[in-house]
Amino acid sequence: MVSSGSAMDPEQVVRRNPPGTKAEDFYKWSPQSFDEMDSTLAVQQYIQQTIRQDFTDTETILTAPPGQDEGVWKYEQLRQFCLELNGLAIKLQAECTPMTCSQMTATEQWIFLCAAHKTPKECPAIDYTRHTLDGAACLLNSNKYFPSRVSIKDSSVAKLGSVCRRVYRIFSHAYYHHRHIFD
Amino acid sequence: MMEMDNGDSGGNQQNKPAETKSPYSMPGILHFIQHEWSRFEMERAQWDVERAELQARIAFLQGERKGQENLKRDLIRRIKMLEFALKQERAKVHKLKFGTDISMEQKHNETNEESKTNEMQTTNAHMSWRHGRQLLRQYLQEVGYSETILDVRSQRVRALLGNNYEVPKPTENDNQVVNGDLSDEEVQQKSAGFVLASHGSGNSTENIFKDFNFLNAADNDDDEDVSMQEEDTTDGGDQQRKSRAKDDFDEVDGFGDAEMALAEFDFLNPPDSEPDDMKLDWSVDQNKLNAMKEQFRQEKRQTKKKELKRPIKKDLQNMLDTLRGSELNRATEDVDIHIPDEENLPYTVGGTHIGDESIENALGLGALAGLTVANEADPLSYDISATKESYRKTWNPKYTLRSHFDGIRAIRFLPNESSVITASEDHTMKLWNLNKPLPSKKTQALDVEPIYSFRGHSGAVLSLEIDTEGSSCFSGGLDSTVRVWSIPSVEIDAYDTYDPSVSQKILVGHTDAVWSLSYSSTRQQLLSASSDCSVRLWNPTSADPLVQTYTTDGTPTSLCFVHCDSNHVVVSHTDGKVNLYDLETGQISLVLTEGDGSSINCVVSHPTMPVTMTAHDDKHIKFYDNSSGKLIHSMVAHLDSVTSLSVDPNGLYLLSGSHDSSIRLWNLDSKTCIQELTSHRKKFDESIYSVAFHPSATYIASAGADALAKVFV
Repeated sequence: MVSSGSAMDPEQVVRRNPPGTKAEDFYKWSPQSFDEMDSTLAVQQYIQQTIRQDFTDTETILTAPPGQDEGVWKYEQLRQFCLELNGLAIKLQAECTPMTCSQMTATEQWIFLCAAHKTPKECPAIDYTRHTLDGAACLLNSNKYFPSRVSIKDSSVAKLGSVCRRVYRIFSHAYYHHRHIFD
Repeated sequence: MMEMDNGDSGGNQQNKPAETKSPYSMPGILHFIQHEWSRFEMERAQWDVERAELQARIAFLQGERKGQENLKRDLIRRIKMLEFALKQERAKVHKLKFGTDISMEQKHNETNEESKTNEMQTTNAHMSWRHGRQLLRQYLQEVGYSETILDVRSQRVRALLGNNYEVPKPTENDNQVVNGDLSDEEVQQKSAGFVLASHGSGNSTENIFKDFNFLNAADNDDDEDVSMQEEDTTDGGDQQRKSRAKDDFDEVDGFGDAEMALAEFDFLNPPDSEPDDMKLDWSVDQNKLNAMKEQFRQEKRQTKKKELKRPIKKDLQNMLDTLRGSELNRATEDVDIHIPDEENLPYTVGGTHIGDESIENALGLGALAGLTVANEADPLSYDISATKESYRKTWNPKYTLRSHFDGIRAIRFLPNESSVITASEDHTMKLWNLNKPLPSKKTQALDVEPIYSFRGHSGAVLSLEIDTEGSSCFSGGLDSTVRVWSIPSVEIDAYDTYDPSVSQKILVGHTDAVWSLSYSSTRQQLLSASSDCSVRLWNPTSADPLVQTYTTDGTPTSLCFVHCDSNHVVVSHTDGKVNLYDLETGQISLVLTEGDGSSINCVVSHPTMPVTMTAHDDKHIKFYDNSSGKLIHSMVAHLDSVTSLSVDPNGLYLLSGSHDSSIRLWNLDSKTCIQELTSHRKKFDESIYSVAFHPSATYIASAGADALAKVFV
C-alpha cells in the first residue's frame, strides 16, 4: 500500500501491507533497486520483487545482482522456491493420497526414500512431499547450517544441493503421476 | 726348531760364516712369523669379541639414553600441562571461593599466591609446568589418581620441604600411625643410604632422593598394609620389584644423570627467577613427577607383559589413600571417618569425589577436585532462574522459532500447552511445541522446530485465532478464505503421515483478504473482518457456517469481541474509525472515535473492564471507554506505527509491537512502559506484525517480518 504520511515527505514510499489492504493492493509499491535496499533481508525482498514484476521471466529472476555473494543468492532463491512449491503441495494434498501413490516414484525405476527420518523410510508420496518441504524448511532455517542470511558457510553450500535434489523429486512425481496438476 | 736351525747354522758355521753371523734361519723365521700370526689372530678374535661386547653395551646404553630422553620429554610436557591446569584451577578456586573464607584454604591459597607471584616473572615456565602437570594429571586419572591427590601431594611435599628437609621421619611416622606397620628400619636404611649417597650434588638431588624416600616409604608401607588387595602374595614381589626398579632407576641414571635431568628441568625456570623457593618447588614436583612417572612406567611395562597390572594400580591407589589418610590425620582429627570410604572405593570416580570433598574440607583446596565441572551449566541455571520470575520482572528471550520462509503475520498460544501456532506469508501455518527445543550450545535462546505445518491456503495467511479449548484453530488469508483446522496433539512426531482430517472446513464468503479473526467462547462463534468491507459471523461447527454478514463503513482492519459483552464487537478501520457493533442488530451501537486519518492496525478489548485499546499508525495507543465512548487516554507508544496489541489474561499488562522493531510492555494501571524488548529485523518497512500473551502461562511471543517468532519468558 503506497501511503504518504501526513507530516512526512509526500514522495516517500512506505512499503507496507497493513491490515485492511486489499488483496490486489498487496505489495503494490514501486520497486526498489537492489542497492537501495538496506535491510538484512534485501536479497529476499529483491527476489520477491522481481517475481512480482514478471513471474515468467525466469532469466531476470535468476540473475544475481552484481556483487552479490553467490551462496547467499542460491540460498534465498531456494527459500523462495520452497515457498512457492507450497502451492503445488497444496494441490497434491487434495489428490495424492497414500491409496493412490503409496510410494514416492517418478518413473518406475526409482523409489525415493524420505530422508527426513532417522533411517530413510519409504513414505507415501504425499508424506514424502510434506516431509521434504518441512525438512527443507527446517534445514534452510536452522541456526546450525545457516546462521546468517547474509553470509553462507562453505560447508553449508553442499546442503543446498541436496535440498534441491529432493525437491526436484516432488516435481518429477507430479509430472509423471499427476500431470494435470503439474500443468 | 730354532735349536735345530741353530744347530744347523752352528754346524754350518764353519762352512758359512756369513750365515752363522745371523741368528735367524728360514725355518726360525717362518716359525716366528707363524707364531706371531697365530697370536695376532687370537688377539683379533679377542678384539672382535670385545668389539661385539662393546657394541652391545653401546646399544644398551643408547637405548637407555633414548628411554631417558623420552622420559624427560614426557615429563616436561606433563609438567607444562599440569602447570597450566593448576593455574586454571587456581583461578577457578580463587573465583569460586572468593568471599567464603576457610582459613586453611586461604593459607594454602596464600602460599599458592606467593609461589605464584614468585613465578610470575617466568610465565612461560609456569605455563609449561602447568601443561606438564595437566598431562600428568590425566595420566594419573587413568591410573586412578585424582587431581586433588596430586595437589595434596605436591602441597604436602612443598610444605614438607619448606620445613627444611624434615621429610622422611614425620611422614613415615604418620604412615605408621595410619597403617600401623613397620618396615621402618628398612625404609630408614634406604633413606639413610640415599641420603648418604647423594652427596655433593646440591639441594636438588637431595630433594630428589628425599622425595623418593618419602614416596618409597609410603609405597612400601602401602604394599604391606593394604587389606583389600586381592593378590596379597604378590606384595612382596611388588615391593621388591618397586624397590629394584627404583634402584635400577638410580643406578642407571646415576646421580649425575639425575642431576643433569633435573638441571634441564630447572632450565625451564630461567635462573634469574626467585631461586630457592621456586627451584625447590620445581625440583620437588619434578621429583615427585619422576617417581610417579616411574611407577606409571612400571605399570605400563607390566601391562605390556600383562602381569599384575591391578596390584600396581592398587598399590598406587593405596599409597594415595594412605597419603590422603595421613594428610587428613595431620590436618584434622575428625576426618578419619572418610578414610575407610576412600579405601573402599579406589577406582570409582565417585569415590575420589567423596575423597575430594573431605580433602576440600580438610585442606580447603577448593574446587581443584573436579577438573571436568561443566561451568556452562551454572550460567544456564542462572538464566533460567532469573527468567522464571513473574510478569513483574523482566522478560527475556527464550525461544526462537525458525522455519518460515516469509514474514509471520500472526502468532497465538495454545491455551493449555506450551505451544504456539504461527501464520505466515509463506502460505503455511505451523504448530510448535516449546517443550522440545533443539539442543543448542547457546544458553540464551533455544531453537524450536515446528511439529506440524498446516498447508491449505493459497495465499499469505494473515490472521489466526485459536478457540478456547485449544482443539481447533482458524485462519484467514489473502485468498479470502477462512479455514478451520483441528489442532493435532502437540506430542506428534514432526514427520508423521499426512492426516487429511486436520483441515476441517473452508469458510468461503469473503471476497477479499481476511485480515482479522476473533473468536468468542461464549457464543462459539467466529468473526472475520475482510478488506471487502465486510464483517462476517460464522458458526464453525454447524453445517452452514455463515451466520451473518455485516457491511462496514470503511475498510475494517481489525476486530475484537468485547469480552464483557459478547453481543458487541469493536471494529477498527483504515480511516481511524472505531465502531462498536451490536451483533444482534448489525448496527453501530457506538462510535468510539471518528478517526483522524491514521489507520488503526489493531484493536483489543480489555478482558474485564469495558475498555478498548487501539494501535495507531501515528505511533499512538489510545484507550476508549466502551460505555461512554470517550477517549480515556492516549499515549505515544513507539517510534513508528504500532502494529499489534495484546492484553494479558488478568488485564494488568499490555503488550504492543511496532514497526520500529521493538516490543513494549505497559502497565495498564499507570499506563507506563515497564520494559522494552528489541527484536526482529525489517523487511521492506515492516518489522513486528503480532504479539501475544499466553492465556495461562508466563509466555509472551512476537512475530516478525523476518520470518522469525520469538518467545519470551
